[in-house]
Amino acid sequence: MSLDAVLDGVAAIFMVVGGLMSLAAGIGLVRFPDLHSRMHAATKPQVLGLLMLVLSAAIMWRAWEWVAVALLAWGLMILTAPVSAHVVGRAGYRTKHMRADLLTHDELAATVERISRQKGVRREVSGD
Amino acid sequence: MTMLEAAYWITQVLLAAGALCAVYRVYRGPSVLDRVISVDVILIIVGSVMLADMAFRRHQDFILFVVVTAVIGFLGAVAIARYVAVRTPDSAEAALQADQQAAALDGERPGQESAPAREPAGGAAEGQVSQEENESTSWFTALTKSGFRPRRTDQQHRDGQHDGAPPDADQSGPEQNTPGRDGSGGRGGQR
Repeated sequence: MSLDAVLDGVAAIFMVVGGLMSLAAGIGLVRFPDLHSRMHAATKPQVLGLLMLVLSAAIMWRAWEWVAVALLAWGLMILTAPVSAHVVGRAGYRTKHMRADLLTHDELAATVERISRQKGVRREVSGD
Repeated sequence: MTMLEAAYWITQVLLAAGALCAVYRVYRGPSVLDRVISVDVILIIVGSVMLADMAFRRHQDFILFVVVTAVIGFLGAVAIARYVAVRTPDSAEAALQADQQAAALDGERPGQESAPAREPAGGAAEGQVSQEENESTSWFTALTKSGFRPRRTDQQHRDGQHDGAPPDADQSGPEQNTPGRDGSGGRGGQR
């Protein structure tokens, strides 16, 4: 078994794993009940799936100069994905696109409650 | 069919299934934010399809698209989450009603509001759209400065019907909110 065959096999496995990550994201987007859990599912192809496919492509190309470009693509994604997820999650929390009854613990609610008590601001996430 | 070719086609089928699920969520999605994250996933899946093709056929034609995909998805998500957050279809009527209620409450108790808290209600003459946007985007800063924000549709979350627009939230909103305004005692045991 030559080295080329081994590298091709590893690349094939990485490729299929990347595809499985995207499929998991799609199933999670359909099945999960509210915005924040869907965001949890949507992060899978952004970070892990793209990493797997980038590694697969880098192994298949067998050229070091393209490895840098491929890792640049993945690095940009891993830099921007937390920021966009933070902004979307914050907007979802403020406008209550979430199911407060599904949360086991809402750490932000305690802070909102405390500030509300002092300053007379409404609760953001409710539950009467 | 070699193993690599089989892996390539399996990957493309998996990516296509994921993209179809994301398209379904864009179609169904109850809010704009659900659609934003679904469109983000679709964009990444398209980039993944190109990466798989580049890996299988050993060329680098689409690598620029994959690099740019990260930046495009980031900018789109941030811009939409920043500006379109309140304009969801199920909360438009409730937001209008809550703003009217906020104006009424400010009229009742003008002494309890500090200066920055009265700022959203004072902008009512500028029209509803700009008022809603200001109130939504500057909520946390207004909170730390003792800002005022009325409660929106809570009923739908408790009922578990996140998708549709509940008609009962419109009637029960003001009656629940009015005593909560009096002090902290009513809110203490809420959750």
